[in-house]
Amino acid sequence: MIFISTWLVTLLLIAFPYPAFLTLALPHFGFLFVTWWGLMRNYQLSMTLLLISSLPVDVLYGTALGLHGLLFALIAYALTLLGPSIRQVNWVRQSTVVFVVLLIASSVSYWARTLTGQSPEFYILVLQAFVSAVLWSPMRWLYDGLAQYTQEIGAERQ
Amino acid sequence: MRPLFSETSVAAVRLIVAVTFSVATIFIDSRFDALTLVRQVIKTALWPVEQVAFLPGKVSTEVFGWAQSQELIVTRLESLALENERLRTEQLKLQTLRAENSELRRLLGVQERVNERLLQAQIERLSNDPFVHRVTINRGLLAGVAAGQPVISADGLVGQVVAAYPHASDVLMMTDATHHLPVQVTRTRERAIAVGVGRMDRVELRNLPDTVDIVPGDLLETSGLGERFQPGIPVAQVKEVIRAPGQPFARVIAEPLAPLARLSLVMVDLSEDEL
Repeated sequence: MIFISTWLVTLLLIAFPYPAFLTLALPHFGFLFVTWWGLMRNYQLSMTLLLISSLPVDVLYGTALGLHGLLFALIAYALTLLGPSIRQVNWVRQSTVVFVVLLIASSVSYWARTLTGQSPEFYILVLQAFVSAVLWSPMRWLYDGLAQYTQEIGAERQ
Repeated sequence: MRPLFSETSVAAVRLIVAVTFSVATIFIDSRFDALTLVRQVIKTALWPVEQVAFLPGKVSTEVFGWAQSQELIVTRLESLALENERLRTEQLKLQTLRAENSELRRLLGVQERVNERLLQAQIERLSNDPFVHRVTINRGLLAGVAAGQPVISADGLVGQVVAAYPHASDVLMMTDATHHLPVQVTRTRERAIAVGVGRMDRVELRNLPDTVDIVPGDLLETSGLGERFQPGIPVAQVKEVIRAPGQPFARVIAEPLAPLARLSLVMVDLSEDEL
């Protein structure tokens, strides 16, 4: 239930029609979703679920199917390894680590996009990783709240 | 649910499997276009989510519409009535020209073009990926839209439909880095390929001879080669011609005539499949 609710909210955030001028300043909500799962709830996450959940993200962004699956898997793996050491540190340090991980994912994204015929500019990917890292803290708060709310509803039903 | 990373070695194996699967999917989707059905199914399933995401925008438009003053609406109506009169006059001229054109084509023994069937559509969202110039329009298979149909605006070409779903379609704009469009210069009939470079305000003509007769201000239109777009649709205006000393080819930079970043209404040319 928690996975579905956080995933739906992420899809809503991605599907929201932002004005064209904001495109460069938007965080990657899909990355933030995987960051939260990889960092906070990796013990509940399965790779198959991650790959399946990445396909609608590809469709919404209009990228080749599988691109976000690749990036999600890398982010989840890296953050799961780093998770125990950074889960309890303050938000600035946490955001810094998230920025580094997303930067690596962006480099892979740059490589994969070049293979599919796009001509991405790397600084835009860096900017996106930076904005995502800056927004990590409020998004974590949002996902935490959502998870708690979903859990409470589940408990009430039982 | 099985835990993802219970042991590092198992996790590494799973990562390798996921990466291999993803890379294979990327390759199949981008090179062979074999996953269209999967994309269609996912997009159709996402339709309710998209509608919920569009709701705030629709509500704000409605509220803004209600909040507009009576005076402003009357002024707008007057200006629209004037515009309508002008367009009706233009249409009369167009009908005469069409008849003349048809007669000339008949005399020359050239096959007459099929009448255009245009379908109005609204742009619902622009892809949030900065490198993908795709928009979603609110017309799909149920309205007769199909992949490959050109999409135009009042000012010129926008792009083409690349994926059609029951209630919506994805349109690839001509400025997308993967889009190539056969064009010709209106003044000289010089043919070229307009390539998107991933910027909304720019397309480029590459590999043109250094001596090519193109100057800033020239208009580009579709050439009709490739049999996807009818010839003569306005595309872009030349902004800059770069002739680097010692280089055999010139590079031409042009700006699309349609304001791609600000568009809200477009027309899908349904007649293309009858060409």
